Amino acid sequence: MRIRCTGAIAGVAGVLFLSALAVAQNNQASQSNAPRSPWRYYPMDRATGDGGPAPKRDLSGTWAGPSSGSGAPRQKGEIVPPLTPMGQQLFARNKPMGKFSPGGTNDPHSRYCDPFGFPQNMTQEIRGMTITTLSNRTFVLLQYMDLWREIWTDGRALPAAVGGRSKDTHDPKYNGYSIGRWEDDYTFVVETTGLAPETWATKSGYPHSVDAHVVERFHRSSKNDLSLSITMTDPKIYTAPFSMGEVYFRWVPNQQLDDFTCIPSEQQLYLKEMGDPAGSDPDAATQGGRGGRP
Amino acid sequence: MKTKLLMLVVLIVGLAASVRPSFAHHGAAAFDMTKPVVLKNATVTEFLWINPHPLIKADFKDDKGEVQHWVMEMGSTVSAQLLGWTRTTLGYGDVVNLYVWQAKTKLPVGRFNKVEFSDGTVMRDTQTGADDGGRADTDVRQ
Repeated sequence: MRIRCTGAIAGVAGVLFLSALAVAQNNQASQSNAPRSPWRYYPMDRATGDGGPAPKRDLSGTWAGPSSGSGAPRQKGEIVPPLTPMGQQLFARNKPMGKFSPGGTNDPHSRYCDPFGFPQNMTQEIRGMTITTLSNRTFVLLQYMDLWREIWTDGRALPAAVGGRSKDTHDPKYNGYSIGRWEDDYTFVVETTGLAPETWATKSGYPHSVDAHVVERFHRSSKNDLSLSITMTDPKIYTAPFSMGEVYFRWVPNQQLDDFTCIPSEQQLYLKEMGDPAGSDPDAATQGGRGGRP
Repeated sequence: MKTKLLMLVVLIVGLAASVRPSFAHHGAAAFDMTKPVVLKNATVTEFLWINPHPLIKADFKDDKGEVQHWVMEMGSTVSAQLLGWTRTTLGYGDVVNLYVWQAKTKLPVGRFNKVEFSDGTVMRDTQTGADDGGRADTDVRQ
């Protein structure tokens, strides 16, 4: 009996293994034989290996992140940052889509295509990205939502006052105010503050204040590999600095990306036809208002 | 012997877990994921290639001869493209078999699973693993 059982299990395992092998081979074959256009992104045309040493002080080019077909690994696990009482209050207002579904969430992006804002736009739907540099700035051009971030490298300091009521204050911005510097020949460090407080820091609904200070470390370990680690400090909302995780990117061989954006009219059509009729998790609370402004 | 048996069980559970449905954009809480509803010989009335999710609209005649108007969502356009989908994969008038995880509200809406075309080919949705970038189905229609 035991032998029969073992044999059956081994058989099933073998079939599953061979199926997976066939999938991979079939996929490779269909990709390699297809005609190519220089205007299209081919997710399975991946950079091979590390491509050799990284060039010094150069992140320029087009990169593919998680979920783009590039094979870049995904971050595992969910962030659970240490909230202050105010942070807990704000977090409790937010109803993320993962738990409440499109029909029950109050995520302003999921309902209205409102901007993710930084830093969520560097972890959520982070698929394709191009980095380019002028003499005094570095630009990060994100595929999702067709937006760009501006990182000043001319030696200026971050603005001292953002979002206050004094005459010299600056307005909060969706991507905040960013400055960058090379820590070594392969690590570019970016500091950002002055974030629009109505945006969520993560897709799980963790909030941030306008005074949040975010540090990004872009590290190019080879020609084809780029990683980004993000740390947030926001004493109003969190009791300690915390890591927002690490995102990995791979070099895109033909440097071409496709369109991918949230379009409000399509979003409303989707919600009317599908998201709202599908409803929310029956165990979840009813939909509330939009996120607060710390 | 017991150790080998245990290893095989672990292997199978691991493989099964690796092909489980995943919903990168939003959760599956709204859908009954126990078993997909099969809409045999459904007629596609519209294929909307939109973000955040393409929508398939189809009419399905039930056992009583009554026509149900279904709407089902796919993964994102960019993820669907990884599996060979384009904005013209489905079109008005196509008669196909559709598999869908229905919403718990029991309205005729749900999360699309796969389509069987009249020529026997099958195309699946992205929850079969395209979001991880490493898989495509063997029976993807080219």
